[in-house]
Amino acid sequence: MFSFVYPAMGTEFTLHLYAPSEEHASAAARTAFEEVERVESLLSHYRPSSELSRINREAPRSSVTTDPETFQFLETAWEWSRRSDGAFDMTVGRLMKAWGFYGADGSLPARKALAQVRDDVGWEKVRLDPARRTVRFLERGIELDPGGIGKGYAVDRAIHLLRQLPVEAALLSAGSSTIYALGAPPDETGWKVTIPAAHRSESVLCSMVLRDTSISTANHTEKHFVDNGRLYGSIMNPRTLRPVEDTIQVCVISTSATESDVLSNALFVMERKQRARLLEQLPHVSALVLAEGRRAWQHEATRWPAEVSLTT
Amino acid sequence: MSVLSARLLKSTPLLAAEPEATETAARETHAEPVRLGVIGPGSRGKELMRQLLRVPGAEFVAVCDVYEPRFAQASELVGHPLATYKDHRALLDRKDLDAVIVASPPVFHAQHVIDVMLSGRAVYGEKTMGFTPQSCFDIVDTVKKTGQIFQVGHQMRYAPWFQESVRRIHAGEIGEPTHIYAYWCRQDDWRRVVPSPDLEHLMNWRLYRESSGGLLEELGSHQIDFANWVFGELPASILGTTSIATYHDGRTVGDNVQAILHYSRGRRLVFNSLTANAMMGEQLWVYGTKGSVQITPEDATFYTEARKVITAASHSSVVQRGVKTGASYKANGEMPYRGPGARIDARNAEEPTLTACRAFVQCVRTKTQPIADVHAGFGSAIACSIGKDAVFEGSTKTIPPLTQGHA
Repeated sequence: MFSFVYPAMGTEFTLHLYAPSEEHASAAARTAFEEVERVESLLSHYRPSSELSRINREAPRSSVTTDPETFQFLETAWEWSRRSDGAFDMTVGRLMKAWGFYGADGSLPARKALAQVRDDVGWEKVRLDPARRTVRFLERGIELDPGGIGKGYAVDRAIHLLRQLPVEAALLSAGSSTIYALGAPPDETGWKVTIPAAHRSESVLCSMVLRDTSISTANHTEKHFVDNGRLYGSIMNPRTLRPVEDTIQVCVISTSATESDVLSNALFVMERKQRARLLEQLPHVSALVLAEGRRAWQHEATRWPAEVSLTT
Repeated sequence: MSVLSARLLKSTPLLAAEPEATETAARETHAEPVRLGVIGPGSRGKELMRQLLRVPGAEFVAVCDVYEPRFAQASELVGHPLATYKDHRALLDRKDLDAVIVASPPVFHAQHVIDVMLSGRAVYGEKTMGFTPQSCFDIVDTVKKTGQIFQVGHQMRYAPWFQESVRRIHAGEIGEPTHIYAYWCRQDDWRRVVPSPDLEHLMNWRLYRESSGGLLEELGSHQIDFANWVFGELPASILGTTSIATYHDGRTVGDNVQAILHYSRGRRLVFNSLTANAMMGEQLWVYGTKGSVQITPEDATFYTEARKVITAASHSSVVQRGVKTGASYKANGEMPYRGPGARIDARNAEEPTLTACRAFVQCVRTKTQPIADVHAGFGSAIACSIGKDAVFEGSTKTIPPLTQGHA
């Protein structure tokens, strides 16, 4: 097995794969990482030259024609906004900035600053015109943030190219928040994936074997700040304009890494009943939600393929 | 060498929200379609297609490639099936093309762009414009003969921070520019993944002398074009060297290149490309008698030389008392400058390739010649076509002027 690490999208992408030689493995890794780099140059809101940055600059003033890939990506994102009733929403760009999560670990915003961004958030304030492949913001302050979908999309694209080479067994991880298990290592049924419990360091929530599917995890451990003893994470509720506080961790398994990435974030934001309704419509998806109950941690497992341990 | 002292100027923002740009974009949205064909939808060709699809009205109709898997990739990229051809002449037989993008390997550029122009279409030809000196002259002749719109893929000419830097250099802000140091360094063996060994030369054409001018041609051509733009002329000769220092994998072009291009009045472009060390990245330094400019893929920064201080010394202090003698060593006088400069802020600038593609579509619509025209393409390509032999031989070679080919 060969392993490679590549810094991209503000994290490290790790690729483990089986190949006949180091030369083959390196070539495959280059193919995968070049694609990740390409997706980053398309979607990064930190790079002024990216297509997403161009849309953020120009769409408040006029309709912006974009390429089919970017348009389709936005259509997918908007479809998830619709299905999740706005729990997943790419228009949180200004909101993330107000909470200090743009290129930093966050800070408490002034009440006035938060009130100012209210008009700048809302997926329904963006017009996507498929006939002309144009994007138009209906509010001038809207800014798209690819967090919660971009890494999943990059993983899907890279896996698509690895399959074409063909690579038969690989594990691609985008900073561990989204992982795709392609095929299986020799003499194994799949790739073993362990989920640590976000609420208890050193403990394992569950382990499972995955093959030809992805898993995404959302929690507040990666980017957060503590103010006056209270933890504020970077997963925002677009409706309340505040970080979600009572959900601890969400894991989603789906054959699409884009979908598992989006859903892990959307389910994190949604209420319990809302989550159940959405998951009912997605029979191919498995989900595990860990939330704060009245007295103890609670978990909701939907079609979850492994035992969950909340105590170890 | 003098110690530099930066005169910190205010950062100059470029391309802030411009009402004109908005109006232009709005007009473009309703623009008439410009129907395009592509010869060579490989990695660069697909990137050009992606950028052109962001230009209102640009539509792809057909592609041509000798490697069939490109057809499906190109169709996936545009989102609908494209007509496909293995022979570019069959593509040119179509009646519904307004313009053609040529992104084949440079060894085929002349044949492809000339045939496109002779078929009566505008052409966007990737750099380097021609592979041999004769092919460079032939392309110039064809543009002259057909009057066709011909744009070369020197997208740096469209980057606003490049344009602003050259404007300020020409305005004398760094005095007389005498030297340009160009770096293009990567940590990358430059190899493409090859599905089967028989496709090695087809896919990895950049690595072999018969199909590639190596790093000078693939990377240096942009920087030679920039030097020609700054100095306002073409280089007269080129001295170069190359070697394989790291990637001993059967390639016949070097994995590093150093070249010096000679311009009039002693002016020089010094080009350095490494592929096993990315420390210097991609950057240009223009050195003038009063200052320097660093230009990167994202911005440009101006530095001003410390002024020589002239004071009026009195007759009594110098002539009557005399001057002291001693060692001329000065401890801090030759340290590199490490302070700030005046940055041209290009945060709102779009990807230069998109700007170049947008400009090309506009040229097709308005039937005008582009900024990166055949003369810009010639100036860089003729130096590369001669220079690739100079670096391989480690010799100095004369670069023929444009007039020579039209004797």
